[in-house]
Parts: sequence; structure tokens; C-alpha cells
Amino acid sequence: MSKTTKPLWQNPWGYAESFLIAFGLLLIGFLLEFTIQSNSGTSIRYPMNLILGGVFLTLLLVFYRLIKKSKLYLFLSGIPASIGAISVLTLLVIIMGVTPQVPMQDKNLITKLSLNQLTTSWSFLFINFYLLVILAFVIIRKSFPFKWKNWGFVCSHLGLWITIFAAGLGSGDLMRLKMDLHENKTEWKAYDDNGNYYELPLAIKLNDFIIDEFNPKLAVVENETGKLYEPTKPSMIMVEKDLTAQLHDWSVTVDEFLPLSGRAGEKYHPLHDFGAAPAAKVSVSTNSAEILTGWISCGSFNRPHESLKLNDNYSLLMTVPEPKKFSSEVTIYTPDGKKEDQILEVNKPQSVNGWKIYQLSYDEKMGKYSSLSIVEVVKDPWQIYVYIGIFMMMIGAIYMFWRGNKVRINSEQ
Amino acid sequence: MIWNYFLIAAGVSSASWILSALIPKKDIIRNLLVLTGILSMAVYIAFLWSSLERPPLRTLGETRLWYSLFISIIGLITYFRWRYLWMLYYCLFMSLLFLFINYLHPENFSKTLMPALQSPWFVPHVVVYIISYAFLAASTLVAIYGLYQVRREKFEAKYMQIADNLVYLGFAFLTFGLLFGALWAKEAWGHYWTWDPKETWAFITWMGYLVYIHRRYQKPGKYVSALWLLALAFVILLVCWFGVNYLPSAQFSVHTYSMQP
Repeated sequence: MSKTTKPLWQNPWGYAESFLIAFGLLLIGFLLEFTIQSNSGTSIRYPMNLILGGVFLTLLLVFYRLIKKSKLYLFLSGIPASIGAISVLTLLVIIMGVTPQVPMQDKNLITKLSLNQLTTSWSFLFINFYLLVILAFVIIRKSFPFKWKNWGFVCSHLGLWITIFAAGLGSGDLMRLKMDLHENKTEWKAYDDNGNYYELPLAIKLNDFIIDEFNPKLAVVENETGKLYEPTKPSMIMVEKDLTAQLHDWSVTVDEFLPLSGRAGEKYHPLHDFGAAPAAKVSVSTNSAEILTGWISCGSFNRPHESLKLNDNYSLLMTVPEPKKFSSEVTIYTPDGKKEDQILEVNKPQSVNGWKIYQLSYDEKMGKYSSLSIVEVVKDPWQIYVYIGIFMMMIGAIYMFWRGNKVRINSEQ
Repeated sequence: MIWNYFLIAAGVSSASWILSALIPKKDIIRNLLVLTGILSMAVYIAFLWSSLERPPLRTLGETRLWYSLFISIIGLITYFRWRYLWMLYYCLFMSLLFLFINYLHPENFSKTLMPALQSPWFVPHVVVYIISYAFLAASTLVAIYGLYQVRREKFEAKYMQIADNLVYLGFAFLTFGLLFGALWAKEAWGHYWTWDPKETWAFITWMGYLVYIHRRYQKPGKYVSALWLLALAFVILLVCWFGVNYLPSAQFSVHTYSMQP
């Protein structure tokens, strides 16, 4: 508690000035957004981002040369300025954490201020920019003259700076495209979210798409609405051979379970046909000791599903099985004439010619009979720099774990 | 075979960890007992790995084994460095809890995880968060106790030192959780940061503690505002942990696993 209140904007600047500057930047950003909306479709690409990055660094150094003896430098490399910038960025990110970040068509205050697409708004850009300036001055102040006891501090802060700088500049060069692979066909074109097509320096032939599924589940739905009935949990139980389970008020026994089957006449038979679907013969008993027996099936793209009517209000049905694992066996061709066989699987991407290829999806209507595999191809030339930053922060975190706050306890004593 | 060996390994670990809590007099004996429990888990995981001929990371039960192993290892390392006995026991308790869940639900050993969760990053990501949240929760308790003492005008500076150290350790693990998450996201979803609501809130939590740390660094003498900051940061952490699913932004999140079988 200071006894005399310092007039605003009189040196040395403190928290009041810091928050005023940060909020001021936020306000200017929002005003700019309101008048000339930032076009989220355009982004700064190579070589523009590289040039801008160079200009930013040069200006930063020139700015440093100009102010390094002034009070402004002490303020910008000080903690009140850092806390102001961090707090206002946090505020902005909280807005981002509450409002859905999706493109919207309506014209209202949210879309006018780009609150639904904050990461591409002016205010977000300004605050990050301001944070980069402050962080840079903090690092410079701690590094020159360099003392070994500061290495952990410099490592973590510089790591964060590199991460923000590289991720921000690199976002324009990041390409995330999708490719539709059909079995036994070779594809070399990929498309973005707006439907623009790109030719890639590689071609992929899908040899086989393999999908491994969980067993389907039993569930009770309301006849009228088709909604899942769930007065008690669990409301879905996985079908297994000889399973007996209590589902709400009903006791369900699985008498027979056929993972692949087709209906012929009165019952389902095992069948290894294109489109064969899981089916089960179930017995259901209620409190009234009456036993209902019948076949249920979740069907497939070419076979109807079948449920068992429990009473006027509810039916028992089998859900469509969920995937356990899906993968694509592919051959990848590159312009230099090389070809290699690879397996693409979720969490196991493959790198070819600077692109990373991810298993993304498939034709969900066809389920396990899908002959379509959707893969994502990603190119991010700046990733390596972001990772350098991330690893520096990790080293900083280990340092932090090891040192704790010992440094300051000593200096306080 | 796999199940019987699990019972033996889990039995050895449980026995040595429980014994370690009962014989607190001799430091060396306790450490040896904790180490025995860790080794027993490690040997079992190695056995499982070689008999399955794949890394045991595909099922729910298998990931819990890794939790048990890593949480107890980090607990021991933290104990070696900081002598927080409560943290060691918390870690051992969490490890035992995961082993016990596996014991109660043997079917979990064959229950496969959804494809996106089958990753070597899954376990470290969760483990460091479990430890980080424990440290930060403990720092919040210190903050509440500190605020209570401030009201009674019996505040002592040493509370602040305890709180600071807990935050530093918790923040280090929080940073790891966040960064492991980013590295994993790159392998699973193609980009390291997509502003998914859970990511966004994890970032806000991280920033909240960052504000606390910087505030403390500058004004070590002003503790009331710092204590309030610390309490508030934990509220944000709770939003990140439980609250995100109830926010309007969550309908587009990849972190909601309600569809998980």
C-alpha cells in the first residue's frame, strides 16, 4: 500500500499504466475489427511472413537501441508490464473459451467483433504482438550481461518467445488438406475446407481399408421420439455371447450373437456377404415374469435394422458398432519415382516429402464395408522451430521443478 | 498367466508400499520398500510387453499399469528432492488405486481404447496432470489457510514460501502436461494447437498460475492479493477439469469422451 498515489503516466510506470496500455490495445483492436473486419480467409504466407518476421526483429532491435537507457525500457522489461499483457491475453482467451469458435453467418455484435473467431482478430494479434515485445525485452534484460544462474529463466522465456513467434508466423504456411482415397485407385489431389483442390508432390494408392469394430450395444429407445431412454446408467450394454444384463427394468439375455449375419425367413443366419450385419437373438423378461424373445439387428448400409418392441412406449435395439481400430494399407509414390508401402493408422502418421499423412476418417454410412478412406495431409514448415521452443520450455520446467522457489527465498532472507 | 502374474506383481507392490507407510521411522527402509514396489510394476510391464509382443498401451487396463508405474516413480523422485512425505503417500495411494481398479475390473485388460487414445503420449499426459493438480490443490489449501490466518492476523511469511514452492512444482508439471498434450495432438490430429475448448482452458489455467508466479516474484511482501490470485487460479483449474463440458463452446471439443465405449 503506497501512501501517496502517484499520478498516472508519471515515471516509474506501474500496474495502472500497464493495464491501461494492454486494455487500450484491446480496445483499438476491437474498434478496428468493428470498422474493417479482418479477413480470416487471407493469411500471410511465405515469403511475406519471413520478411515481416525479419522486419519485426529489426524494429525490435532498433527500438531497444533507442530506449535502452530510458525508463520505458525498464517498464517494458518489468513485471507489471508482463502481468498486464498476460492478464489481458488471458481475458481474451477466456472469451474464446466460453463462446463457440465457429464461423457464423448472422450479423450481430459477436460476429462484428469477431468474438467467434478470435484467433484471427486484430485484438488477438495486437496483444500477442505486445506480449512478444515485452517478452523480448525481458529476455534481453536477463541475458546481458549473461549470468549462469539465469540460464533456466532465459531458457523457458526464450522457448516461449520462439514458440509464439514461430507458431504465429508459421500459421499462414500451415496446410491441412484432406484426401479421399478409394480402394485400388491412385489419388494425388487434396482439398481444403473451402473446397479448393491442390496437387501434391506425392500420390497415394489405397490397397485396402481395414476396420476393426467393437461389438454393438443394447439400448432402449422411446418408440415415439426414437430418443435414447436412460433413467439409469449404464443405458447401453455391449452385446456379448451368453450375456445376461439388467437394462433399466428389463433383464436381457443374449441367446445367440452373430457378428456377421443376414435374415432368411424367421431367423438370422451366419453370412459372409458384402453388407452382412451383426444380429442377436435376445430374451427379455420384465417384473411381470413375461418373457419376450426375438431377433434384433443394427443392420448395415444394405440391410434393414430390426428392433424388439418391449411395450407401447419402448423398444430394445442394437446400436451401430463403433470402430476399435481403422487403418489404410497404401502405396505412396513420389515424383522421383520412388514408391513405398505404408500403413496409415490413427496416432501413427507417416512422413513423405515434407508432408505428414494421417488416417482421418472413412465412409461412416458404409461402416466396415467402406471402400473410402479419408486421410489428412499436413505440411507445416515452421513446426521444427515451434518444437525447439517447446523443448526449451520443457527444460525450463525441469529446472523449475528442481530449483523450486529457492532462489528468491535466499534473496529475501 | 497374464492375470496371475498381475496378481503377484500388484500384491508385491501393494505390500511394499503399504509397509513403507507403516514403517516411517527409517528413511532408507522406506525408500527401499517404495523402490521394490516400483520394480515389481516395472518387471510386470516388461513381461507383459514381451508376451504380448507389442507395447501394452492399447487397453484401459494396460494404461492404468503405466499410471501406477510413473506416478510412483515421480512420487519417489519428488520425495528425494523435496522431502514432501504427503506427496509420496499421495502418489503411492493413486498408484494403488489404479492397481485396485484393475483388480476389480479384470475385463478392462481386454477393453480396447478408442483409436485416438491409443498413443504413447496418453500416459505421460495424464500422469503429469494428476501430479500437477495434486500440487496445485495443496497450494490452494495453503492459500485458504493463509487467508484465514490473515483474518485472524496471525499470518506468517513461511506459509507463503510453502505455497510458492508448491506452485512452482505444480506449474512445472502443468507445463509438461500442456506440452505433452501439444506433441500428442500433432501425432493424432495433425496440429499441435487447435484452440479446442479444453486446450483453451488448460492454457487459461497455465496463464493464471503464471500471473501468480510473476506477482510473487515482484512483490514478495504483498501476500493478500497473491493469496486471492492463487485461490482464483484454482477455480479456473476446476473449470478446465470439470466445467468445460458444460460451456457453450464445448460442443466442438475433441476432449469429450462421452461416446467412448
